[in-house]
Amino acid sequence: MTSSRIEELKRQRQTELKKRGNQLPYAIAATAAALVIYFALVKYNMSFSYYWIIGILLGITMQRSRFCFSASFRDPIMVGSTSLLKAIIMALFISSIGFFIIQYRAYLMNPSHQLKQIPGQLHPMGIHTAIGAILFGIGMVIAGGCASGVLVRIGEGYIMQVMVLIGFLIGTTIGARHFEFWDRILISKAPIVYLPHHIGYFPALLLQLLLLVILYFIADWYDKKNNIMSTM
Amino acid sequence: MRIYEKVIKKPWPYWVGGILLALLNISLLLATGSPWSITTGLLYWAAAIMERLGFRPADWYYFNNSYEYGLKAGQGFLFNTYTVLNIAIIIGALIAVLWAKEFKWKRVKNIKQFLFALGGGIIMGYGTRLSFGCNIGAYFSAIPSFSLHGWVFAAFMFVGAWIGSKILFKYIL
Repeated sequence: MTSSRIEELKRQRQTELKKRGNQLPYAIAATAAALVIYFALVKYNMSFSYYWIIGILLGITMQRSRFCFSASFRDPIMVGSTSLLKAIIMALFISSIGFFIIQYRAYLMNPSHQLKQIPGQLHPMGIHTAIGAILFGIGMVIAGGCASGVLVRIGEGYIMQVMVLIGFLIGTTIGARHFEFWDRILISKAPIVYLPHHIGYFPALLLQLLLLVILYFIADWYDKKNNIMSTM
Repeated sequence: MRIYEKVIKKPWPYWVGGILLALLNISLLLATGSPWSITTGLLYWAAAIMERLGFRPADWYYFNNSYEYGLKAGQGFLFNTYTVLNIAIIIGALIAVLWAKEFKWKRVKNIKQFLFALGGGIIMGYGTRLSFGCNIGAYFSAIPSFSLHGWVFAAFMFVGAWIGSKILFKYIL
């Protein structure tokens, strides 16, 4: 690229930035609207208000930190970078401790609880999990974003992610229609494996934290060895 | 002004994002009894559209079995806790990007990109019905729930991402 071309691009970028400078009124309006909705929900339905405010904060966090679950799996394969994956392992470490406290408290309050009463995402594990995960992994890399990334990027103004969302709605509807079939041949035979029920609460926590620490160091080592972006 | 530059204008490091997402997910579980999940809400949107088109999704097997995916009392396919959370994430991202003065409509570049977006979305959407969620519900919230299916999902999502990368290298890049 010639230097005059670079200068031209620089000028273009400058004018673009100037053009975008008047976004603050919209920012203030959107923030105000979000707060009005929050207070309306507090009055109308307390539970909805929790979902609303935490959702807003999740969206802000994902946008500001350029967080992308799909990239965390794609980058190690495509460019050898694991900085996102390491951040997710760190997040899993922290949320494991948090979830553990909530689940253990629920257990102490009701020692004879059933699986369905345990707070969290507990679902059958089996071949269907593997098939679903492989399909999901292929889809998210091809589409360039997963479910959370799609929502965030729609907020940023990407039209393409609206197409991904439409595709997602079509696919998930077909999947729901086929669910009876999959349930009959696979899912109904698969167990829910809740680790604390098999090896005890504290061993499960320690095992999981240890595993996450090991994975973190493997990811760190992998990055140093393979990252094509690093200067080493 | 320096705080504006640092917090609002510049991207946060990934690890800051990770820690905050973990704390928010814990808060959600504590406040509502259920952790972060997205895709059931997206299926509900699809069901709402099907309802408008004259179908009766509420009668489908998917919403009437022991896995409890039917609507909770007082909620519809369009108005429910999932919708509130998903819309809030979009609005949160919009707020962040507006404060950073970076909002811009970004069009689809070509027909190829369009087809890959749509096709990828369809494959992804189908997968989530088999695996009880996406990389939020079946991974980011499942592993901390100590349910082993989260680890299985993570391992095989890697396999899927690897296959997807190969396809991407072959047809797009």
